[in-house]
Amino acid sequence: MGSRLILEGVNLSFGGVHVLEDVGFEVAAGSVFGLVGPNGAGKTSLFNCISGHYRPSSGSIRIDDAEVFGLAPGKLAGHGLARTFQHPALQLEATVLENVLLGGHTRLPGSAAEWALRLPRTVRAERELRAEALDTLDRVGLRWAANDAADELSHGLHKSIELARALMLHPGLLLLDEPAAGLSHGEVEHFISTVKSLRSEGMTVVIVEHNMSVISQVTDRVVILDHGKKLMEGTAAEAQADPRVIEAYLGAPDAA
Amino acid sequence: MNGLRNLVDRPWARWALGAVIAIILLVLPLSATEFTNQTITRIAVFAVAVLGLNIVMGYTGQVSLGHIFFVGVGAYCAIIPIRALWGGSIAEGAIVIGFALAIIIPGIVGLIVALAAVRLRGLALAMITIALPIIGVPIAKRFSDITGGNEGVSVRRLDYVASDGQTYKGNPFSAPAWSGLADDQWQYYLVMIIAAALFGLAFFLVRGKYGRAFAIVKANESVAASMGISPYRYKVLAFTIASMYGGAAGFLYIVALQYTSSETLSFGHSIELVIATIVGGAGSIVGSILGGAVYVLVPQITNAISPESTTVVQGIVILLVLFLLPGGLASLPRVLARRFRRARGGHNVDSSNSTEPAIENTENTKH
Amino acid sequence: MNSFGTFVQLVVDGLAQGSIYAALALAIVLVHQATGLINFAQGGMAVLGSYIGMTVGNLVVPVNLILGVLVGVIVAVAASFAIGAFIERFVMRRFQGGEEDTKVVATIGLLTLITGAIGMIWGFNFIPYPFFFNTSTSFTVAGIAISLWSLTTFLTIVALMAVLQLLFTKTKMGLGLRAVADNPGSSALSGIRVGRMLMVGWGLAAALGTIAGILLAAKAQLNPGNFDAILVYALAAVIIGGLSSPIGAVVAALGIAVLENLAGTFLPWIGHDLKIAVPFVLLFVILLLRPQGLFGRKSVVRV
Repeated sequence: MGSRLILEGVNLSFGGVHVLEDVGFEVAAGSVFGLVGPNGAGKTSLFNCISGHYRPSSGSIRIDDAEVFGLAPGKLAGHGLARTFQHPALQLEATVLENVLLGGHTRLPGSAAEWALRLPRTVRAERELRAEALDTLDRVGLRWAANDAADELSHGLHKSIELARALMLHPGLLLLDEPAAGLSHGEVEHFISTVKSLRSEGMTVVIVEHNMSVISQVTDRVVILDHGKKLMEGTAAEAQADPRVIEAYLGAPDAA
Repeated sequence: MNGLRNLVDRPWARWALGAVIAIILLVLPLSATEFTNQTITRIAVFAVAVLGLNIVMGYTGQVSLGHIFFVGVGAYCAIIPIRALWGGSIAEGAIVIGFALAIIIPGIVGLIVALAAVRLRGLALAMITIALPIIGVPIAKRFSDITGGNEGVSVRRLDYVASDGQTYKGNPFSAPAWSGLADDQWQYYLVMIIAAALFGLAFFLVRGKYGRAFAIVKANESVAASMGISPYRYKVLAFTIASMYGGAAGFLYIVALQYTSSETLSFGHSIELVIATIVGGAGSIVGSILGGAVYVLVPQITNAISPESTTVVQGIVILLVLFLLPGGLASLPRVLARRFRRARGGHNVDSSNSTEPAIENTENTKH
Repeated sequence: MNSFGTFVQLVVDGLAQGSIYAALALAIVLVHQATGLINFAQGGMAVLGSYIGMTVGNLVVPVNLILGVLVGVIVAVAASFAIGAFIERFVMRRFQGGEEDTKVVATIGLLTLITGAIGMIWGFNFIPYPFFFNTSTSFTVAGIAISLWSLTTFLTIVALMAVLQLLFTKTKMGLGLRAVADNPGSSALSGIRVGRMLMVGWGLAAALGTIAGILLAAKAQLNPGNFDAILVYALAAVIIGGLSSPIGAVVAALGIAVLENLAGTFLPWIGHDLKIAVPFVLLFVILLLRPQGLFGRKSVVRV
């Protein structure tokens, strides 16, 4: 079962500029939650606060019942959090499979000496992890590319590699930053079905996404952010009908 | 050329190439001159040192400018106990003790240095490690009663008591009678076997769990942390392993030369080792071997032509490599193959996954 | 002499020696602020500048000592400014935007090349540097002997720092340099010629280093390896003072030199040979307690 995420009064400012003001919402365990808003609304900053890459100036962030406010990213992995990045951070010269294997790092047993000696248990663990990584690649539709260098794939597919890598962490809470940007039509369809299957397994997923068609197809609830503040919360359909949301997007009416 | 590349890409061809080289290295010393054997032995010694530096610098991306310090400390840790204990009741056991200390003590020193230096991000490790040889030399000179200071310490003619009760002069690393080998051949095989084992261990280490962790720490610490990989821990680990390899190279140095002095860990040699690592090929096992060759051969060649030019040549070589061949000599075949392919018009890029249609990315979902 | 006299003398000598470390540390901070890299060749460049000054100066010295030294200093400063700018433009700029470790190795390569070139041209022996006065001269104040060289060195470096400070805060070029250091991207947009500013930054750093190099050579003679150990001191000062703080680096450099001088004399076990270890013991303690340096700010983790 996935984790519950609760944010209360999260504030973030950089040098006096308020990036996030008093943001709070609750993501129910096992639901898919959308974070929507115009460019610069603070969506990615909010992700960075949740994942520990930014330290908010005040507020509370809880995963299930644990307060994770201000924890370093490395500690958050231990709370079952995994994320992808808006600009995929992959090892481009390594193969797709090697990139995905990284996500399973903490589950591999053995000291450096055991791996250098290639003891049987490390060989076995590596073999099992590879099998799991291939299955995960299958899930995101990239098994065919397992042995290609990551830089041979398109930018859109890099997001899918990141998704696979994040899934290898066995997260209870998955943060996806613009996962569908740059994907082809077929790849978007595949992505939507992947998220739906994650939801059916009970994983909690939070998505930042501009593509409203994706948002309305996969999310249970959404929060609309504008200028670092929560504008409204509800279902995707409610959001799209809300006049405040339409106004917030006026500069770019076709985005909503 | 393309045919050659395809050949090199096939696993069996690589194994065959490796086997041929191994056989040559095995047979060669039996017929080569003493000078050739000693040169190859020294290349193997410094290939291990470069391999250690590669683990921290090439694979983990942490610049260490003081790696020779650990080679020098390892050499002292090997030669001092051997000199004190060899012969008598423990005989060859002294060499084993020397080998163990040459790995353990540099490892502990490296761990302590890394625990402090790695706390600072970025280039602090480079800025601190550059001090190691500069501090190490005066420390070695200060303790000259055990290190021999400038004159150094040698085990080429050690007193020992033989079974007949007489005292003889001997060298712990001269060939035993049963081997039927000359001294240079014996030292060659001893160094080669240990170096090969150390290369094998490193080969496995830089793959799998630890190799991937080192690589992501080098590429992006933020992502590493997100994967539950602590950049601090892995940098400390890489530096410690590198120090142990440096120490092991120090032991091999004693096997090859049976002598060391404060000159071994000098600042100039430390810089040369960094240069050799990059010229050979950072983050590459083959590059480490080539780096060992660069370290030994470049000064040997320039000394033969014009001794004053050694340093200038090293400076020019490293800058040229950085400009023209950033992957070092180890990347040369790959770079040449790519050039050649491009010259032929760029077709036949990679046929391995030609069954898959090219992914077209024309539709932009972000309106 | 009483031990208080010795103490004062050690402090004064320490401040002089420390101002040489400080000048090099400041040069390193200057380059780091402009380009984000640590120039490990900074000391080598200072030594090269000093050799040029000596060679040119020696042409004039037979006519007039003061004039010869002056000409040497001026030529050395001008030449090292040009060499610094040249290296930035034609070597280091190639590596801009590349990996940090590549840049470090590039400056190591430069250090090797420069040291080697000096050795080939001028040899590896110590060569005396002609100077305005005999550097072993000292005068006595209240019973305490003060070295003229120490006083000159300290005052020269302090004056240079004041000039640099004025340059950075009061001139248009200084503002440009600071803007480039803060944000090269938006400086370019606002019409500042970033490339030229980087060359000026490198040139200034090299010139500053060379003056320190000459002052050192006047006392200790010239040798290709003159700045190897001093580079280490300067780097220690930069780490302790914090990479982002020129004042911090200068204070740390002076502190290190005074401390090692005192330790070298009053702790017999350390002595002259091991005093170089003093700043590093200090550094290790600081690193374990305050990783950002004594004066630096904690940097924000980038994603």
